[in-house]
Amino acid sequence: MRLTPLLLAGLSVVSCTRGGNGYYGATQPKHGADEAWSNLASEPETIDPGKAAEQVGGTLAINLFAGLTQAHPLTLDPIPDIAERWDISDDGLHYTFHLRESSWSDGVPLTAADFEYTWRRVLDPKTGSRYASFLYGLKHGELFNRKALVIRGLGSASEAELRALIEPLAPLDVLRLDPALDAAFVIVKGDDETRPKLRQKLLSELRERAWQGRVLRAAEMDGSELGVRARDDRTLVVELEAPLPYFLHITKYYTALPVPRHVLQRLEREGKNTELWTRPENIVSNGAYVLAEARFRQFMRLEKNPRYWDAEHVRLQRLRLLLIENYNTVLNMYEAGELDTIGPSTNLPSEFLDLLRTQKDFVSGPYMNVYFYWVNTKVPPVNDPRVRTALSLAIDRKSLVTHVMRAGQIPTADIVPDGLGGYKGLNSPSFDPERARALLREAGYGPDHPVPPVTLRYNTSESHKQVAEAVQAMWRKHLGIQAEIENQEWKVYLKTLETKDFQLGRYGWIGDYPDPFTFLELFTTHNGNNKSNWSNSEYDELLRLANLQRDPARRLSQLREAEQIFARELPVIPIYVYTRSELVKPYLRGHAVNYECRYLYKYWWIDERWYSSQPADTLPHGFPPLPAASTGGAN
Amino acid sequence: MLGFVIRRILGLIPTLLVIVVASFLVVRLAPGSPFSSERGIPPEVLVELNAKYGFDLPLHEQLLRYLGGLLHGDLGLSTKYPQRSVNEIIGLGFPATLQLTAVALSWALAIGIIAGVMGAVRQNTAWDHGLMTFAMLGISVPSFVLGPLLVLIFALTVYALPPGGWGGLRHLVLPGITLGSYYAAYIARLTRAGMLEVVHADYIRMARAKGLSETMIVWRHMLRGGLTPVVTFLGPAVANMLVLSVVVEKIFATPGIGPYFVDAAFNRDYFLVMGIVVLYSVVLLLMNLVVDVMYGLLDPRIRYE
Repeated sequence: MRLTPLLLAGLSVVSCTRGGNGYYGATQPKHGADEAWSNLASEPETIDPGKAAEQVGGTLAINLFAGLTQAHPLTLDPIPDIAERWDISDDGLHYTFHLRESSWSDGVPLTAADFEYTWRRVLDPKTGSRYASFLYGLKHGELFNRKALVIRGLGSASEAELRALIEPLAPLDVLRLDPALDAAFVIVKGDDETRPKLRQKLLSELRERAWQGRVLRAAEMDGSELGVRARDDRTLVVELEAPLPYFLHITKYYTALPVPRHVLQRLEREGKNTELWTRPENIVSNGAYVLAEARFRQFMRLEKNPRYWDAEHVRLQRLRLLLIENYNTVLNMYEAGELDTIGPSTNLPSEFLDLLRTQKDFVSGPYMNVYFYWVNTKVPPVNDPRVRTALSLAIDRKSLVTHVMRAGQIPTADIVPDGLGGYKGLNSPSFDPERARALLREAGYGPDHPVPPVTLRYNTSESHKQVAEAVQAMWRKHLGIQAEIENQEWKVYLKTLETKDFQLGRYGWIGDYPDPFTFLELFTTHNGNNKSNWSNSEYDELLRLANLQRDPARRLSQLREAEQIFARELPVIPIYVYTRSELVKPYLRGHAVNYECRYLYKYWWIDERWYSSQPADTLPHGFPPLPAASTGGAN
Repeated sequence: MLGFVIRRILGLIPTLLVIVVASFLVVRLAPGSPFSSERGIPPEVLVELNAKYGFDLPLHEQLLRYLGGLLHGDLGLSTKYPQRSVNEIIGLGFPATLQLTAVALSWALAIGIIAGVMGAVRQNTAWDHGLMTFAMLGISVPSFVLGPLLVLIFALTVYALPPGGWGGLRHLVLPGITLGSYYAAYIARLTRAGMLEVVHADYIRMARAKGLSETMIVWRHMLRGGLTPVVTFLGPAVANMLVLSVVVEKIFATPGIGPYFVDAAFNRDYFLVMGIVVLYSVVLLLMNLVVDVMYGLLDPRIRYE
């Protein structure tokens, strides 16, 4: 199979020479003026917004469902969608969303209660939402999702008294008193097997317990305690656990998009499997498009939703989204004019890019995704920050990106991409072998005491291998450090990282919203995705304080301070910021290239006379006005 | 004959049981979980997901549950596609694979047998050498080379056929030929060898002595004898085409079940892996049975007791 890319690259040379007008293949729309064909690359695991946990399902969800806010196609800033406007309290804890009058695609009115239902459903552990933590910012959200027990009837009991009561019964992970509710929340400690039993035991002990002259009543949380409530049909009141300056980004994330309560409840009443609500025969949505047909592993067909509140600005009547995984097939279909774009999830190998880059319909841009190596900061010799920094400084990222990756990736030694959400990046020096060697000497290594060999692991993939081999050679050349490189199949590799059975390991992190916090929070002590064993209380505190900061500029500078701590300690070695490379037919207008590779079909339209007109002149309904400085480009 | 078939089918059951139990255990040996991903799952959500699929039970109980399900024809739920059962996924993909296999098999048989017969009849002539060289090429050129070549010629140069996807017979031609060519080449060589083996047999001499026409001798008597090795080969070949057409199905993006053999394992989609293993085993065992029955039709000396 290794031969394939080479051979296919060879074949592409042949095909590139045809046509000759500078575009890759056909340049006339094949499916009429009302329809576009794109590719999603693979069958979505689910298109249930609350359960989706990958790009394909997410892309479908944001086009089928409309949330409180939506992303501006260019800047990704949150702009109104179902919420016409909102008020934020001075402490940043209370949001009041005022919903516009709108309805589901079956005509049932959409109300604030739909959002309340949806968010409770996401956080309910029984739903099995893998991205439930997106809504942990809601008051009591994490407690509900982690099956906390709620104990009522405390009166004036103190935390210490309560702790003394509970600890003999079950080991405690979290105990939180909420005087406003006259309640305490308890999460027991234990592994997946013991935890449910301990919780059950505690529940039965405290279900009704006379204590200090009062009666304690423990129960499982039912979600009514959550900080989301429909005040009336058109007003949604939200209370947060702590201020989240990026909360309006969360409300546009697919996990927070509304699901049709009436459809799910109907299926439940009829005794049917509620998982099937996303099938074309059942699905009801409120976004620009509805799902008309879904052929398993073949295609999805979307039809314009005439009941979308902004339907008058939606231009394409139909979309066909193919589910083709093989990039070569995708390129062939694009060339033949079957596909109007290769879509958000088809990754072109670097062998192709050299050829495609010269085509006029090639577009590329930075992608909010950082490629880095985890460092297990508990394992010598990389437990010494000086060694980590030396390893980082010995990587010639520029040459790596230019000669090995070749897709225009942005070399970086920082974890937050420069310019993200207005953030001024650190621009740390990325290549300085002289200083790297000095740091190693400082750490006590020298000719008679060389750095012991290190092991670099990565998940099996041709491009990760190329990067690892280049880095291996650079460490040997500049530092004399021997690195062994080892690949593992993806799921095995995840296990390796989870059990912290590694020294250095490849990873990538896609930001969830354009704000530095999405990268920085990864390295806090209690973040479940932090594989580095690194913990720094000063760092944690700075991040916490930054989110309490109401002045955006000062907040960014606090986040920058936190990143400086990160840069001194380097729990990961950043390598580069990814880029997305796409092919978009010249007649397909309204496609925005943005930092999230967010495909918003509602702006698309087919320009049959593209060759004779400038897109700017012919756009009666273009993108919404820019709220701030633009960072992307439009096609 | 019917008794033979029934006895053979009953005999398959223990074999199948061994396959199922062994693969059930082997699949679980691989590290990693169906639910692991870059982003960690909240702990209680993981507990719920594991409970939904019964992964919280001891392994032997899970095995018994799975076997119980199999008895009712229930292959379990997919973890990758939570809205789909394995039965449904296979039900959706198998017809496509069947169609693809039918085209590939027709191509393989037509080309293979004609080329084999011609090679045998004109043994050691330029025809023979030419055809057998071609067959050697067919065996050696892997489908991931042949497929893109065919696409380049027929889909991107003469625009006669679609480069991939699914729709009608048009979409089946290129993947069918790509999948079938290897088998065509093999069949050609086997047919030729099989015919050459019987060319000096007594019954052929007898046929000649009776004054039958050469066409009759070749197509009726020699071919029948010559096909025995082909039939032996066809059993597992058809099973392979049905289930292991991974590469071809990926190249042409056909919606069959081929890709699952690899993908489901990478995704740790335990029940889907098992479903494919069970399907493959059943198809393979049944194909072998069909081969045994075919022997009897081709060779009158074989009797079923």
